[in-house]
Amino acid sequence: MDFNLSKEQELIQRAAREFAEKYIEPIGHQIDVENSIPPEIISGLGELDMFGIPFAEEYGGAGSGYSSYVLAMEQFGSASSGVAMILSAHTLGLGAISVFGTEEQKKKYMPKCCKGEHIASFAFTEPGTGSDPKQIATTATKEGDFYILNGTKRFISNAGFPGPLVLMAKETESGRVTAFIVEKFCEGYSISEPWEKIGMHGGPLLDIYLENVKIPAENLLGQSGFGYPILQLGISYGKVGVSSTALGGLLASYKEAVKYAKEKTHRDEPIGKFATIKVAIADLAEKYEASKWLVYRLGYLADTLKDPMQFAKEAALAKDFVCEEMINASRICMNVHGSYGLMKDYKAERIYRDSIMGSQVEGVSDMQKMIVAGVILGMK
Amino acid sequence: MNIVVAMKQIPDLQQIRIRNRQPVFEDVPLTLGPIDKNALEAAVAIKEQLEAQVTVLSAGDENVEDTVKEALAAGADQCYLVLDDALKNAESSVTAEVLAAALKQMEDKPDLILFGEGSGDNYSGQVGSRVAAILDLPQVGYASAIEVGEGKAVVTRSLENCEEVVEVTLPAVVTVIAGINEPRIPSVSQILKAGRKPKEIVEPDELNLDLENAKTDTLSNLAPETQRKRVVVKSVDELIQALTSEALIGR
Ligand SMILES: Cc1cc2nc3c(=O)[nH]c(=O)nc-3n(C[C@H](O)[C@H](O)[C@H](O)COP(=O)(O)OP(=O)(O)OC[C@H]3O[C@@H](n4cnc5c(N)ncnc54)[C@H](O)[C@@H]3O)c2cc1C
Repeated sequence: MDFNLSKEQELIQRAAREFAEKYIEPIGHQIDVENSIPPEIISGLGELDMFGIPFAEEYGGAGSGYSSYVLAMEQFGSASSGVAMILSAHTLGLGAISVFGTEEQKKKYMPKCCKGEHIASFAFTEPGTGSDPKQIATTATKEGDFYILNGTKRFISNAGFPGPLVLMAKETESGRVTAFIVEKFCEGYSISEPWEKIGMHGGPLLDIYLENVKIPAENLLGQSGFGYPILQLGISYGKVGVSSTALGGLLASYKEAVKYAKEKTHRDEPIGKFATIKVAIADLAEKYEASKWLVYRLGYLADTLKDPMQFAKEAALAKDFVCEEMINASRICMNVHGSYGLMKDYKAERIYRDSIMGSQVEGVSDMQKMIVAGVILGMK
Repeated sequence: MNIVVAMKQIPDLQQIRIRNRQPVFEDVPLTLGPIDKNALEAAVAIKEQLEAQVTVLSAGDENVEDTVKEALAAGADQCYLVLDDALKNAESSVTAEVLAAALKQMEDKPDLILFGEGSGDNYSGQVGSRVAAILDLPQVGYASAIEVGEGKAVVTRSLENCEEVVEVTLPAVVTVIAGINEPRIPSVSQILKAGRKPKEIVEPDELNLDLENAKTDTLSNLAPETQRKRVVVKSVDELIQALTSEALIGR
């Protein structure tokens, strides 16, 4: 067993940390208030290949696997969970193309996405369903060599950036759910204003309206009726992003609490001298370390596990644990800050609002437990 | 044009712990000196303007082979390493002998040899000048800008009270200050390609060097004691006065 990072992984982690500390952290509050991320951040991340870490070099990726991806995502998530959300949803969408796409589809869509010039999306959720593919109401009607798409997709990350969108729709003829690649901003594609979320500000979440969007039949992803397996595997990979973003939140909680415990004084002594604060710091260290190794291991498993069911279990397990621990950690961090932690002047306040996001997306925590137990017991 | 950048492996200063005022070096990750990274960035910037090849030169223990990937990721084309355990804590004069011997040995004769003004750990600031003396090359120190022309370089030196612009014929040694530039962050692809770049590794005896007595023993290495002054002020005016009397503002 080897817990050491390779020199390359160490350097990728350091590159992400340096970029996060130098360019994202100083504007973390601004991103939160304005609910948007300056384009220089996106282009800077693109230049460093952060949009293509796990994807194959032949399609423009860095070819460094999910084990490197989690290291970078942790650093971005620590500085701004909104920035991490963009990368996470992008990697989910692009991951589906990279696993299920044809050679032509991969050559066409991946290189620009890996450079961050295009940003990918993945659209399953609708006003009527967030967990049940049977209830999908968006339709795909075959007309000769084309499909005509109609419907509304809800809560779609990155819907406002140009790039490919992996979309789940029901084929009108067969009633089966199929995945398609749609180019965002094509004719008939329109978007809502961004949703105003409690946290993860800057991570754009919009609704998508599809009105007679005409796409060539070759834009079908995988096979006809293959939507559900694409959704399941895609979401499992997506949980690697959500977990590592939450790990970044744990790291931020830990760092902010340690800083405050050393800075804030009572009767000329730092509050870190109090037993209560010591317990809080130890709790944070334990939660961070346990979550870190679970997430790093999940990155490794994403690169190595072959059985999609086993991977689904591992991803659900890590995502549930780490996202819940981020909530606990942000609460402890807030306690260390006392009333100051409630104020927007302190990062603890932002981390606390961000922390609730991870446990709700890509299936709430209880749904993760259903997946974990279902695989362990062999019962659905 | 061949540019050689001499870089020293040091412990990552941000991760050194202090216990009883003594630095603890055990289990601290290794990196390259921060000002050495400025020197490398200066070389890469020149390379982006002219046809140039950037070689990193480093002397140290076997870990350097891994540590140097950082420089190869940040734009160096190749590296030349002198590896021996005895070089780990070598004293400045020994390091200078080793680097000078390596520079003489290099197939592509260097036109410009860059150093950081001082190393990230000891900051004795001697190696660059010593190498220039051994090789009988002109040296320019405290460089804050370098412009390379035909057979010469124009170097701006940032001195305490003024800037001095000098012209130097190549080959020359230039030692740079941290303010010369901001080193780039390497991209993920560059990091992954670093290990595949050409490297030449030699041992000291291949350079006809004898490293007996190369090591310095550090007898004491203490963190400075900071005494808080605990000045109490009652008004902004008093604060300004206190800061002025400490020469912290209003100079
Ligand atoms: C920041 C953010 C980003 C997002 N990005 C995207 C995106 O890019 N693409 C996308 O498609 N969606 C995205 N979503 C949507 C998100 O994935 C869905 O909201 C989520 O899957 C839950 O769906 P829902 O809100 O409709 O809840 P529902 O599915 O209606 O669930 C409501 C509750 O019922 C429970 N429940 C539902 N079904 C069952 C069942 N069978 N058994 C037991 N309990 C059940 C759930 O556990 C939950 O507690 C995003 C959401 C957020 C907040």
